[in-house]
Amino acid sequence: KKSFIELAPEDQVSGATFYKTEAQFRQALAGAYVPLRDLLDNDFYTGEMRSDNTHYEFYQINRGTAYTYRENIADFTDDPTNSYTNAIYFHCYTGIARVNTILGHIDGASLSETAKDDIAGQAKFLRAFNYFKLVRYFGGVPLFLEEVTTADEAFLPRATAEEVYAQIIADAQDAIARLEAPAFSNDQQPGQATKGAAAMLLAEVYMTQKKYAEAEALLLSLNGMGYDLLPDYADVFSTAHKNSRESIFEVQYMQGLQEGQQSNFIYRFIPRTSNTTVLTGLRYNNSSIGGWNTPTQDMINAYEAGDTRLDASIGMAEGTYNTSNMFTLSANKSIIGYTPEPGKTGVPYIKKYLHPHTDPNNTDDNWPIYRYADALLLLAEAQNEQGKGGAALAPLNRVRARAFGNNDHDIVTTDQAALRDIIAHERRVELAFENHRWHDLVRTGKAIEVMNAYGAALKQQYDYLSPSTYQVNANRLLLPIPQSERELNPDLTQNDGYPQ
Amino acid sequence: QERKTMIRGLVENENGQALEGVSVDLRNESTGAKRSALTNKAGVFMIETPGATGPYMFRISHLGYVTQTLHKESLDPQKEEALYVVLKASSTSLDEVVVSYGRQQRRDVTGAIVQLDAAGVRDMPVNQFAQQLQGKIAGVQVGQNNGQPGRGMEFRIRGAASLSSGNQPLFVIDGIPVTGSINNINPAEIETFTVLKDASASSLYGSRAANGVVLITTRHARPGDPKIEFNTFYGVQVIPQQGRPRMMTAREFAEFQNEYYEDRVKYEGYTGELAEEYRNPERYGEGTNWFNALTRAAPVQNYDLTFSSATERSSSAVIVGYQDQQGVILNTGTKLFTLRLNQDFNFSDNKLKIGFGLAPSYRIDHNNRLGTQGVNGLMEKIVEASPLIAPVDENGDMPLYVNSPGMVANVNPYAQFTQRKDDYKTTRLLGNTYLHYNFLDGLTLKTNLAVDKGAETRNYFSPASISTAGVATGLSSSVDNYSWTAEATLNYVKTFARDHYVEALAGYSVQKFEQESNTVSGTNFPGDDVEWLSAATSITDGSSNTTAYSLLSAIARLNYSFKDRYLLSVAVRRDGSSRFGSARKYGNFPSVSAGWIISSEKFMEKLPFVDFLKIRASYGITGNNNIGNYPSIPGIAPSNYVFNGELVPGLAISRLGNSELAWERNKQLDIGFELAVLDNRLSFTYDYYHKISDGLIQDRPIPRASGFTTITSNVGEIELWGHELALNANIIDRKLKWDASFNISFDRNKIKALVAPGFFRRNNTVSSDYYRNQVGHALGEFYGFVFEGLYKDEEDLKNSARWGDNSDVGTIKMRDVVPDGVIDNNDRTFIGDPNPDFLYGFTNNLRYKRFDFSISVAGSVGGQILNPSKWAYLTNLDGARMLLAAVKDRWRSPEDPGSGIYPRTKTGTTAIGRYVNSQWLEDGSYLSAKNITLGYTIPLGSNLLLRGLRVYGSVQHAFIITGYSGINPEISLDGLNGTSIGIDENAYPVPRTFALGLTATFK
Repeated sequence: KKSFIELAPEDQVSGATFYKTEAQFRQALAGAYVPLRDLLDNDFYTGEMRSDNTHYEFYQINRGTAYTYRENIADFTDDPTNSYTNAIYFHCYTGIARVNTILGHIDGASLSETAKDDIAGQAKFLRAFNYFKLVRYFGGVPLFLEEVTTADEAFLPRATAEEVYAQIIADAQDAIARLEAPAFSNDQQPGQATKGAAAMLLAEVYMTQKKYAEAEALLLSLNGMGYDLLPDYADVFSTAHKNSRESIFEVQYMQGLQEGQQSNFIYRFIPRTSNTTVLTGLRYNNSSIGGWNTPTQDMINAYEAGDTRLDASIGMAEGTYNTSNMFTLSANKSIIGYTPEPGKTGVPYIKKYLHPHTDPNNTDDNWPIYRYADALLLLAEAQNEQGKGGAALAPLNRVRARAFGNNDHDIVTTDQAALRDIIAHERRVELAFENHRWHDLVRTGKAIEVMNAYGAALKQQYDYLSPSTYQVNANRLLLPIPQSERELNPDLTQNDGYPQ
Repeated sequence: QERKTMIRGLVENENGQALEGVSVDLRNESTGAKRSALTNKAGVFMIETPGATGPYMFRISHLGYVTQTLHKESLDPQKEEALYVVLKASSTSLDEVVVSYGRQQRRDVTGAIVQLDAAGVRDMPVNQFAQQLQGKIAGVQVGQNNGQPGRGMEFRIRGAASLSSGNQPLFVIDGIPVTGSINNINPAEIETFTVLKDASASSLYGSRAANGVVLITTRHARPGDPKIEFNTFYGVQVIPQQGRPRMMTAREFAEFQNEYYEDRVKYEGYTGELAEEYRNPERYGEGTNWFNALTRAAPVQNYDLTFSSATERSSSAVIVGYQDQQGVILNTGTKLFTLRLNQDFNFSDNKLKIGFGLAPSYRIDHNNRLGTQGVNGLMEKIVEASPLIAPVDENGDMPLYVNSPGMVANVNPYAQFTQRKDDYKTTRLLGNTYLHYNFLDGLTLKTNLAVDKGAETRNYFSPASISTAGVATGLSSSVDNYSWTAEATLNYVKTFARDHYVEALAGYSVQKFEQESNTVSGTNFPGDDVEWLSAATSITDGSSNTTAYSLLSAIARLNYSFKDRYLLSVAVRRDGSSRFGSARKYGNFPSVSAGWIISSEKFMEKLPFVDFLKIRASYGITGNNNIGNYPSIPGIAPSNYVFNGELVPGLAISRLGNSELAWERNKQLDIGFELAVLDNRLSFTYDYYHKISDGLIQDRPIPRASGFTTITSNVGEIELWGHELALNANIIDRKLKWDASFNISFDRNKIKALVAPGFFRRNNTVSSDYYRNQVGHALGEFYGFVFEGLYKDEEDLKNSARWGDNSDVGTIKMRDVVPDGVIDNNDRTFIGDPNPDFLYGFTNNLRYKRFDFSISVAGSVGGQILNPSKWAYLTNLDGARMLLAAVKDRWRSPEDPGSGIYPRTKTGTTAIGRYVNSQWLEDGSYLSAKNITLGYTIPLGSNLLLRGLRVYGSVQHAFIITGYSGINPEISLDGLNGTSIGIDENAYPVPRTFALGLTATFK
């Protein structure tokens, strides 16, 4: 019997005695997926808005840091106190810590080997995924691989980018070895990480490291796992086709007022308005959350004529701005052949995440991380980079044929340089607004050139952009290490080009 | 040489029993010579007098009895004098103070203790006792940081503060350490307050005593005629004009928008049009004054009825109270119903005493706890509404939005304040029973058994009519808490060999607190007709929780006095607490103190004007356990996810545990002296204290790369020291009587050590990272940019550091603290200090014939206030919010630079003004007249049922003399703890109350 002063919280489980049974590890594993959602709440600022795909609705009347920080990411004027780039860092590590707790206890637990493989495999996928985000955004970061239980263990210096990559590769390889291929039932999978997801992740890592042959082999290994393109591009994002045969990995959401599992991306991606009904079908005032990730004209222009992906990806919100920078919606229109009504303004918005839902600001949309079209285009790229332009055409054209509804737009050139640009362009339009653009620009060495040109054009268009915006150099390819982390841990160095 | 004589005497109580250990002090009034003695077991004392020539004064005092003074003109040298004295028992006496686990003669106390009689503060038209104590006791800071009815009071004793483990003292009511809120205690029930300031006075409360202890005794009936007392007051509360924000009128705001527009066109090439609403500002007048629209004059009333009756065998007191305080913010208020029954019995010739105390109370808070501080506070509501729009339109409807063009669209605050419901109902029961059994000579067993039971429900409803989504939301929650305390002590009192007086105590104490709570919230109500969750079609959240802590303690104390003038006290408490890590469950809290009553020494006869002089010193260790209930245990919380389109339960470690978490210890030294002169008409107390608070417990921020943000840890050490002086004077004692008391305290603190990196910041946002706690600095020093005016001209701009591209002529210039030509985060530095140089209080009581008059003031000198309320809310220059009228005088052009305080409105340049900077600092010194009362006692015939009748008029918060521009210079963001004092994020305004009161006593 415990003494009178031995008390433990009765309304929650306690750490010391937890992590014994498979059910407990399964719960811990589910908990390790959750930080992905926090990551996605911020990833579109750095993954899309920092690229030439999207911009933001300038909010003249509110210049608080909640607005300026997010604008600064897009404008390349962000600094180490930017809470939105900091959040990427924090949430990736929350995911890593949860994985480390699982991995730290599972070897000593009496689980079946099958269960151990499945749980540890998913855990390692998640750790690799988070470190891959971190290393691409921040460079070499502290490498936490053990559960932290005391303050002293929380202070690690930065590892090199090579060390981080080595760990990612080791984890991803282990995940591939331990996980099963996806189990489709009625063309749907559960939504957990699979052998395919781990292979796709490792392929992208290899692509980043220009290890094209290794990437190609992994991407080809996906072929036997039941993946396929859906016939209709718009269906890929539909809430009726979650975790479909095209999905390799996506972050799960579920609408509902009770469970707290919902998404709300569309409410953040449409213009600030006191009534969203015209677009979302439900009344909501999104003025405190909306106005971000607005597709640019540059993005719209990137679609070729006849590409069904334009209409599936971007819609037009029509209405009028009032003097408080609020948008009064009057119509939801197709972008195809759009001309505004007299006296009205059309604002493009991301349509991929707009599907019917029951309650305002509470949507059912999942977020795609990896899908088969991505794998096909990556394969084409891997093959083209190895001089196998002929082979690259098949996966590339498979994606294009779906987009155009026919083979009339097939690519025929096998010229490596031409094909490189074509594949890059294809990735941009196929994977638009799925947080790939910035990573692709950096990976392919195009970021500085593309973003400076884009910035120059944008400054012509918007007089609120000051001269210091869009000064993109090599230093700006990495985000700054959060200032607060460096204040706590003086051993953490800052990336070049940011205030020390 | 004059012959000496011997005086013998017998001292008995009213029952004819001999009293042992009674102090008998004798003084020759002409020579000042003194002698003292104690009675023996037979109640007999013997004193050799210094001489026969008088006059002589005898003072006979004993614990628990009314002190008697006798005069003898002269003594007969030929025979022995004999005195027979009967001492009357008293429940309280001025010469006796309440101490931890007992009472003690005031003169014998070796710790720093101040006792205040509640009768002296009963006239104040307030309903919290804390308000009565403002400025009354040296070293006890009582701040009213907001004016929420029935709430908002904070204590800080001797600057006590830890970084985050609270600063509130422990409140002990009739021996029960209370576990819940103290604001449900009806002040009318209180007899005395005793503040234990130093470690020797408080160490018997061990791990809870680091912030000081306030002992409260409630009223018991005293022997005498039974009586009924009726007290009431009725008052009106108003927000003082002083410190109210002077906002632009509708016309001024329209003019501002015109000028803002002109400047955008002129400097930014803006091509848009000016909104129609702002054209022709002369058509507008005052417009809506939203401050006035949201506030009001509000009544406060209070009724107390006390019945008391006592015989030798039993006494009972019943106090019934009712308070109703409406709030000065619309649609807020509180009501409190209280009852207290105190019943005492004596059996077996006072050998057995048994008593019961029972105090139920019921409070109804209506919209009283709505967030009125910080974001969403009153000031923000005011600046987000346009003076061009009325809260209620001509059709009697409340518009949902009340913003003019260019302003942020927020919901009509008048509609929010009047339509939202947030009611709390609190039931509280304090109960205790004691038994004192004097089973052997000098040996008494005392037990105390107490419960503190609380229950609270909350019902919240926010109607669809004030929802931007047109959806109503509701919440229902309840909290049930229960705490019990059981204590038993053995007390032994004995005088040995005449001069050696010993008082020993040993005991055991057990306490447990348990709480259960649940919350349900819902939405999608069919309409606004039914405000209860039964109407909600969607339940959005539901949870139930429980928490507990327990404390297991042993206590011991030994008081020893030799010749009644050399005093020594040793005390220790050993606490075992459920809150601490498995390796650190138990803590020992010892103290030692000594005193010397110099005035009883023979050589003091040369200073006859000195009536009493004592020096004392103490040293001891106390603890602070305000660290939450389970900081040593890692917490695992739900973190659910979705697979297969279905919810799957998930879990994740939400909080790191720390099994090494140790006690926060407070090591305190106190040196003091007490002096009374001129027939005790002038008394003076001085104390110096020095405290080292080590093992400070705080949620230590750790790198978030660990997956966690903090770990509760022992993080550092603070040194606190200070001087306290108190002076009580009976200035005039004739037809006009005038008593005055004055106290002043100088409190200092310095952070001596902190874990890496040597400082804690408030947060990572430059606009609200107000302070930094750093080694070598005082607690809560403000941190930010240094304001250097506006850039005067191109020359100035060129030669000064700039904030990126955003600086321009007429924008705010900050000091380039790290001189690199760029204004950035690294240019933030320490800019101010909220800690006052000294705090003081001054009370005067005058009486002339049937009139009485009193005034009490409290004040603070030297502390600074950081005023984000003004600079982050009231002066936002982006045209999106209402503005202070002073902003009219801002920079418009090099020729029209304005007052140099407010910059230009150029887009993208103003944000830096909302970063914490030295412009936000103001001197927080003030003198506040807490209360002024004028009373008149009405003469009555002797045969009436009515025995006494007094009427009075009283003004609470009568006036404040301060240079501070805000409403309340006592404001602090989150109580008076070390990390929030002196920050004005606006709060519920503290009203001024004008009241009329009546006190009637019936036979």
